[in-house]
Amino acid sequence: MIHSQLSRRGLLAGIGGLGAATILGGCATGSSDSGSTSSNTLTVQSSLSDADPKAALTKVVEGYSKTKVTLNTIAIETFRAQLPTYLNSGNPPDVLTWYAGSVARDYASKGFLLDVSDMWTGSGACAGFSPALKELSTGADGKQIFVPTSYYWWGLFYRKSAFQQWGVQPATTWDEFIALCKTLKGKGINPLTMGTGQTPWVASGWFDYLNLRINGAQFHRELLAGQHSFDGPEVKNVMSHYRQLLEFIDPKGRSYSWQDAVTPLAAKKAGMYLIGAFVTSAMPADAADDVDFFRVPIIDPNIPVAEEAPTDGYFASAKSRNPAGARELLAYLASPAAQEQFIKLSKSSNLPTSTQVNTSGFAPLVQKGIKHLNETKAITQFFNRDSSDELQTTADTALTKFLDKPGDVNAILASWQADAKKVLAS
Amino acid sequence: MTTLPAPRTRRRAGVPPVVWLFLLVPAVIEIAMVFWPALNSFYLSLTKWNGLGAAQPVGLDNYRELFADGVFRGALRNNVIWAVGFGGLSVLGGLALALALNRPRRGVGLYRSAIYLPMVFSLAVTGLFWRVQYQPDGTVNTLLGAVGLSGWERQWLADPNTALYAVLVAAVWRQVGYVMVLYLAGLKGTDPTLDDAAATDGASGWQRFRFVIWPQLRGVNTVVFAVTVIDSLRTFDIVWAMTQGGPYHSSELLSTYMFQQGFTFLNLGYASAIAVLIFALALIFIITYLVRATRDEVET
Repeated sequence: MIHSQLSRRGLLAGIGGLGAATILGGCATGSSDSGSTSSNTLTVQSSLSDADPKAALTKVVEGYSKTKVTLNTIAIETFRAQLPTYLNSGNPPDVLTWYAGSVARDYASKGFLLDVSDMWTGSGACAGFSPALKELSTGADGKQIFVPTSYYWWGLFYRKSAFQQWGVQPATTWDEFIALCKTLKGKGINPLTMGTGQTPWVASGWFDYLNLRINGAQFHRELLAGQHSFDGPEVKNVMSHYRQLLEFIDPKGRSYSWQDAVTPLAAKKAGMYLIGAFVTSAMPADAADDVDFFRVPIIDPNIPVAEEAPTDGYFASAKSRNPAGARELLAYLASPAAQEQFIKLSKSSNLPTSTQVNTSGFAPLVQKGIKHLNETKAITQFFNRDSSDELQTTADTALTKFLDKPGDVNAILASWQADAKKVLAS
Repeated sequence: MTTLPAPRTRRRAGVPPVVWLFLLVPAVIEIAMVFWPALNSFYLSLTKWNGLGAAQPVGLDNYRELFADGVFRGALRNNVIWAVGFGGLSVLGGLALALALNRPRRGVGLYRSAIYLPMVFSLAVTGLFWRVQYQPDGTVNTLLGAVGLSGWERQWLADPNTALYAVLVAAVWRQVGYVMVLYLAGLKGTDPTLDDAAATDGASGWQRFRFVIWPQLRGVNTVVFAVTVIDSLRTFDIVWAMTQGGPYHSSELLSTYMFQQGFTFLNLGYASAIAVLIFALALIFIITYLVRATRDEVET
């Protein structure tokens, strides 16, 4: 008797547990209304859930007096998964945080995003932004659908005092760079640190840059759009350069996240780190002023210099109940004062997209970053932003496998191409 | 706790209608919050849907694609390894600990609490904690080096040959205390006089366990089996916290792959197909076991 009762209980517990596993489909096939906004209140849906950026955006939004604004902050994973639902719902959030790139263009082509072309002309809030930013914010039909408000740069970050101590200089050409790595290695220092364990996407940094330096920005964009093959001769050439770096990369980085990999750099056990300017947030406070960076060395001087500059900002939902209000709010968020306030409060090394922001109060490193990008001929985003998160996963698989087994490069590239083809076809 | 015999309340005649009303409320909630979404996911598994617009029916394409998908096959294989390793080790470990700590002795409560302690951490915290241990300069490698086994040192979570097992150890470390508590409760429900009688008759320790105690634990075994199979099939958090299925899918489980397909790539139809298969797998195991368990009961 006791036993049969237990069995039944076990079974019920089991069914309950399994329900949770299949609940995935629970996000219902229909779209449901989210939030309760009247046309008088604007809703901003934000994925900035880290403490500093969240506090910064809260302050910026509080400073908007024209309409009442509700700010909803949602963790990025959920935000990304729910984004289609937000945009598709009958009563969507009016303004949403996102980044420029192919995903935004995808949504635009499906008609989910509010046309903000008028903000880019005449005396519009974005009219003074650079042409590169405008191109980045333009959908396939030539209309602007995105409002960029900040961006950051990538580079080879190092500690000035460490370079001084080791008696080395930043490199400008590939040969100099390899020589620099050799010198550092000779001193018992890992020339490069790179956290590709928890954050395998970091391995795409070198891939992107080598491709930009060897084959150029145009080829890079086309490759990520599926117009070239990942096992073609151009990519093989990129990988042969990547392979020259492998002996200089701290092997322990395979267990690290990008943040963990900053530690050896800060402790002067590693020399350089190819990473975005967000690295400064992971640096200990006493090393912050000691951080500097230099451009990834030039490999082919005939190729116009390209840099990665991932751009963040906002777009508005096409189904917004109050499109005029949404545009006004976007204009406010893009205004020099709001950009400056956000960048300062979020304690990031982000750059303002507006040229009217007074940058003289920014850290010297950030000013150098602005100059760095101004001297650049072409701008790309980053692997996932220029393609998709799904294609990024194929890159993660291929590149981390390559880090472990560089000898299998041809087989790795062949299966990368097969995986990429599948993703691009879907 | 689960083994305490429930008081026999067998008053079938005349259930007051208000009781049905009370039963109706949880039934409606259950149907709306669990069964309806679950059914939806069956439907979604036959479609292609990215969350935008209407789902397009594609028949069994998702399932066909799944079996041609190398990552899925790898995840399925890993899930088998996981179910066997996780189930086997935590049951063996839990049972052994329960037997060792069953008799009242000085400080036994301390041991029991210490072993149960990991269970109070969330899986994500457990994952984080073990990730630190497995770091290249972490405790595991340091200990190996200290006892002269530096040849065994490796990057546990970054090596495709060890990543899955490294996570498995962490998961078992947490689960073993839970299984121990279940068995401790089961052992409390066994009849001590039977054990004493067997001891008086000269049965060895092993014989007493195998022929006297073990048969009395059948009820607990059913619970432990169900809990273990379900836990192993729905394992997600700890893998996600430690490796996210990497390096290159070598520690991917069905659940992590489902999450990635569903919530990172928004291939909701494909992810639902994986969810349906997870459901089917669990159901097969549980039903087979329950049928066997009830048949045994009828016989005895």
